[in-house]
Amino acid sequence: MPKSSQVDSQEPLIQIQNLNVEYRTVRGAVRAVENVSFDLYPNEVFGLAGESGCGKTTIANAMTRLLKPPAYITGGKLMFRDIDILQLDAERLRAFRWDQLAIVFQSAMNALNPVLTIGNQIIDAMQAHQAISYAEARSHAKRLLRTVGIDVARVDSYPHQLSGGMRQRAVIAIALALNPELIIMDEPTTALDVVVQKQILQEIKDLREQFGFSILFITHDLSLLVEISDRIGIMYAGKFVEAGPAREIFSDPKHPYTNRLMNSFPTVHGPRRELLGIPGAPPDLIDPPAGCRFHPRCELAIAGECERIVPPLIRIGGQRDVACHLVKEAEAAS
Amino acid sequence: MSRNHQNRQPVLEARDLSKDFHTGGAFTGGVVKAVQGASFKLFRGHVVALVGESGSGKSTIVRMLARLHEPTAGEIFYNGEAVLSQRGRRALLRYRSQVQMVFQDPFGSLNPVHRASHAVQRPLKIYNKANSRQELRDKLEELFAMVSLTPVDEFIEKYPHQLSGGQRQRIAIARALAADPEVILADEPVSMLDVSIRLGILNLMGRLRDEQGIGFLYVTHDLASARYFADEILVMYAGFIVEQAPAEELISDPKHPYTQMLLAAVPDPTRGLKTENIELEGEIPDLTSLGGGCPFAPRCQHAMDICNEAMPAQTTLEDGRWVRCYLYEDELAPAQMN
Repeated sequence: MPKSSQVDSQEPLIQIQNLNVEYRTVRGAVRAVENVSFDLYPNEVFGLAGESGCGKTTIANAMTRLLKPPAYITGGKLMFRDIDILQLDAERLRAFRWDQLAIVFQSAMNALNPVLTIGNQIIDAMQAHQAISYAEARSHAKRLLRTVGIDVARVDSYPHQLSGGMRQRAVIAIALALNPELIIMDEPTTALDVVVQKQILQEIKDLREQFGFSILFITHDLSLLVEISDRIGIMYAGKFVEAGPAREIFSDPKHPYTNRLMNSFPTVHGPRRELLGIPGAPPDLIDPPAGCRFHPRCELAIAGECERIVPPLIRIGGQRDVACHLVKEAEAAS
Repeated sequence: MSRNHQNRQPVLEARDLSKDFHTGGAFTGGVVKAVQGASFKLFRGHVVALVGESGSGKSTIVRMLARLHEPTAGEIFYNGEAVLSQRGRRALLRYRSQVQMVFQDPFGSLNPVHRASHAVQRPLKIYNKANSRQELRDKLEELFAMVSLTPVDEFIEKYPHQLSGGQRQRIAIARALAADPEVILADEPVSMLDVSIRLGILNLMGRLRDEQGIGFLYVTHDLASARYFADEILVMYAGFIVEQAPAEELISDPKHPYTQMLLAAVPDPTRGLKTENIELEGEIPDLTSLGGGCPFAPRCQHAMDICNEAMPAQTTLEDGRWVRCYLYEDELAPAQMN
């Protein structure tokens, strides 16, 4: 856990406090994110995990102000150092999005402009935000391509001439173009094959060591997330159920949902064992279960408590946070 | 279990199956060699996993076995009988009732304007599995119960949009079961489902294998789920099956350099991002411009001159496992054949 000491001593880069987001649909308000708070430190990889619809991408979109109606931020505060992201006007927001932060989406490789060479797409991003000559920008673009593992000769290639993995690398090169402090990566390798995925993750890790940016890494693949992240937050139905150092959560999950999730995917490591998955399905967030949102699927639920009282996210020592009545009681007893 | 079916007759067998796709125009077009010389056997009550990255040809194999694509070369045997020469709607219908398919996308494979019962009823009618209304209803309820969609009365009435991905995939499985098949070809049946739901579907298919004796061909890009569900694993690369082994042996002792690379790339939280001794290099080649050699040679750490000249033949290592790689050809020595 090399980051742990750093986390204590540093000012956070991003502070998210009590974020609430809802989607207003004809059926009613979908409370996609509810009271989510976490900090992200300089040079840290923070991972968000959870199943589809749990709110991870909504958080990323809220942080970048990319949410569009019917999605509304109904409460909370998003700070980037001393910048209040929710208060930025259009012009400052535009500058903020590229200078301080960049985003790599899951299908980003399909978002490249098909009629521009990848070199020109990197150059465009630089020239739009910096006073830089074409020649300078071009040589920087070449450097960036080399950094992400693309042959420099590819600078004049069009997207269709590149494989999926190369296009995703090109997108990462564009994200790095303005040397941002934070890169949000939303399932950046999910559409790729495992070997290419591993190559790109190794690349991302090297780049972070080289440039020292922070990453908010979003994926449903828990083992991948633990592999790349310093700390992770586990989301269920719009809420944080557990957060803390990645390896600690992996080896000793506290929340029953995390525990069951860890036992839901087969692995190629260690002995083969029977796995159960999690019975039931995630709830409809228009009418989420009262109390703990996981209680209908939780075999350990305490009758009379879990279905009535919302468990708060509490610190249980070290940097571990858990929202579960069981854990709270176990802590009280010890 | 994977060892003692040498004498049994396979329910489905692919022998030297190849498929070329022609692309582009008459003069500019190329040939994509999607599958080359694929051979394997499928037994009742047995799961074979076909593992490979996108574009490796695994879905093409499934489509040939489902008789959705006509193979360019090779033969398919069903209970010992050659099927490709059997023409006509009747023969095709009979074959398809025995060899059913479950597709990847449960959101696209069910008709949105019909209730769940419709999807499962159709094969019952098409393949004459029920003689009366009452029998139809009984069969329907039995199938819904078999895939654990209970209470049955409730689920039968639902439309696809009222069901979760996992529930839809259960309906797709019930639909496949309705024809009373001996084999189910499952093409990435869980890859679009949430992590917490996948296990339920894999366990359901495992139960159908054990209780109904259905043989599964499980196509996936995920080695871990193949290990979990399958008895035997076939690894595909660029149109070739490069290795076959019992699932546990393949995972614990991969022979082909590509299998080794694939295993090294599987995320492992206990190990971090390092991959010991194995360089993850390159990407899958363009299938229109394959040379005559082993397609993995350009990425292979052990590549020798001969690898670029001709594709190695199958080298049988031990009972039930083989590999297509020159590194193992020495092991053909009679002393080791035992």
